[in-house]
Amino acid sequence: MNSPWPLLITLTYVAIAMVIGLRARAGRSMNSLEEWGVAGRSMGPVTLYLLIAAGSVSAYTFMGAPGWAYSKGVAVFYVAIYLSYLALVAWYFGPKVWQFGEQFGHVTQASAIADRYQSPALGALAAIVMAIGSIAYAVLQTIGSAYILFVMSGGLIPIWLGVVLVLSCIAVYLYASGQRAIGRTNAFQGVLMLIVAWAVGLWAVHSATGGLSFAGVFERIQAEHSEFLTLPGAGGDMSFSFWTTSIIVSMFSFMPPVWTQWMSASSARTIRRSATWLPTYYVVILPMVVVGFIGIFSLPELSRADTVVLEYAMQHLPVVLVGLLGAGTLAASMSSSEPFIHSVSLSLSKDVLQPVLKLSDGVTGKLARLLILPIMFFVVAPLAIAEPGSLVMILLVGLGFASQVLPAFIGMFFWPRASRLGVMAGIVVGFLITVAFTTLWPHPMGIHAGFWGLMLNLPVFVAVSLMTPATHAEVVERFFRIAAPRGFTQRGCRATV
Amino acid sequence: MERLLVLPTSRAGWGLLIAFVLLVLAGTWPVIGWVNRATLVMGLPLLVVWSYLVIFACVVVMLIGNRIVERDDHE
Repeated sequence: MNSPWPLLITLTYVAIAMVIGLRARAGRSMNSLEEWGVAGRSMGPVTLYLLIAAGSVSAYTFMGAPGWAYSKGVAVFYVAIYLSYLALVAWYFGPKVWQFGEQFGHVTQASAIADRYQSPALGALAAIVMAIGSIAYAVLQTIGSAYILFVMSGGLIPIWLGVVLVLSCIAVYLYASGQRAIGRTNAFQGVLMLIVAWAVGLWAVHSATGGLSFAGVFERIQAEHSEFLTLPGAGGDMSFSFWTTSIIVSMFSFMPPVWTQWMSASSARTIRRSATWLPTYYVVILPMVVVGFIGIFSLPELSRADTVVLEYAMQHLPVVLVGLLGAGTLAASMSSSEPFIHSVSLSLSKDVLQPVLKLSDGVTGKLARLLILPIMFFVVAPLAIAEPGSLVMILLVGLGFASQVLPAFIGMFFWPRASRLGVMAGIVVGFLITVAFTTLWPHPMGIHAGFWGLMLNLPVFVAVSLMTPATHAEVVERFFRIAAPRGFTQRGCRATV
Repeated sequence: MERLLVLPTSRAGWGLLIAFVLLVLAGTWPVIGWVNRATLVMGLPLLVVWSYLVIFACVVVMLIGNRIVERDDHE
């Protein structure tokens, strides 16, 4: 590819994102956790919709999902379904989390856990282990960003330089404007991704079939490769049990950036309104996946499945669309990595360093902003440049852990009797099972490792909670006035806290 | 208080909980097995059409939920 246009368009996108991110500050001081961490709890429904939507649509949508369609087929749509179920989760839990934050001053997920169980140690443990999965996720997205710059520049921007460039851009506006920068840039990136996905998808369909209907693509797949249209897919590895347990485990993985996004809303009603319409955004996945299906008969010898859209675009699409694809893919990876970097910095400052070093809120606010720099340049950048082979494994274990924190949330929203030791015991058992069933004996009987972890985690959590002292009644009452504003029902009888 | 669980306290609340459970069932086994056929509907694979039906059904259920929550005037 000799044209300079793809790189120019991609770099123009980066410049626009930087301007938007820097202007998001609008003269406010960013040294408080409330402002830098949760944007002063000010985001309206449209910004919140695009913030959550763009944050959940990562480079996976532009590279991984078409790659799955190319190698497995319709199995890829489990992602669209679990993303919609995450909207149901946001609809129910988001307003309550927002009220916890607003009334009790929480700015992170781990702060809420520490408060509910009156245990800074449990909060710190949750913050540290969630940070492992979050950093692995940010590293994967950064690798995707650098790869896009490498391809769009025709190899002129090597991977290491791409990593430094992308992280530097994010660092500048994240330091300057915090969560407000994430909100504004994600809104821009969310719109860009939607336009690019449909433009590239429709153009690819037209070049492959001569029309704009997806039917031509799927009729050919049905005639020549019908195994791509059903489970377990062409690879034979997406069984009903793996589809189902992957959805359930993903649905119950309350990742810290999502929690921070909920707390950034201007009101509980705002979250509910945004969550209601969130599933509509996932039409962004369909055209990209269709390009993956086109690749099945157009690029049968592809060595890396996740490059199917880029390869097809470079061979069949005009250079302007290739540039827009580069910008869209970069937008997807940046919009997903920056919330994770932000939440790691926020949570390590608030939930680990503040209690250990006994820092004031003012110092902690400044520390959270500064901490993004060592996290990005001494952790994320070296890992992204080195591309360790075990990174996906770290990510899988990290995400597996995220679902193992479920007992902490059951005790926050549903079961007042949950105890600190019960939660800890459940998490430890669930985490060990998840690690073992991810590394030593991957997904036994075709069931997701995180699901096995939950099946042991939950009984241990209940048993240990019943055997150990509950949290102080006044703390439980404080939380459940929000979690259950109309009291409880037990065996058909109503009671109040 | 020690044995209480948070459950819906009204008929509308129970209806909403049942709708949420039905949505999750619609996207998982065994229901997903019933639409696992290599046929096309409106030019798209049946499983894809079903996935988007589930996705848009989520929007409809949450819209109904908004009406219930705002009518009952509680967060």
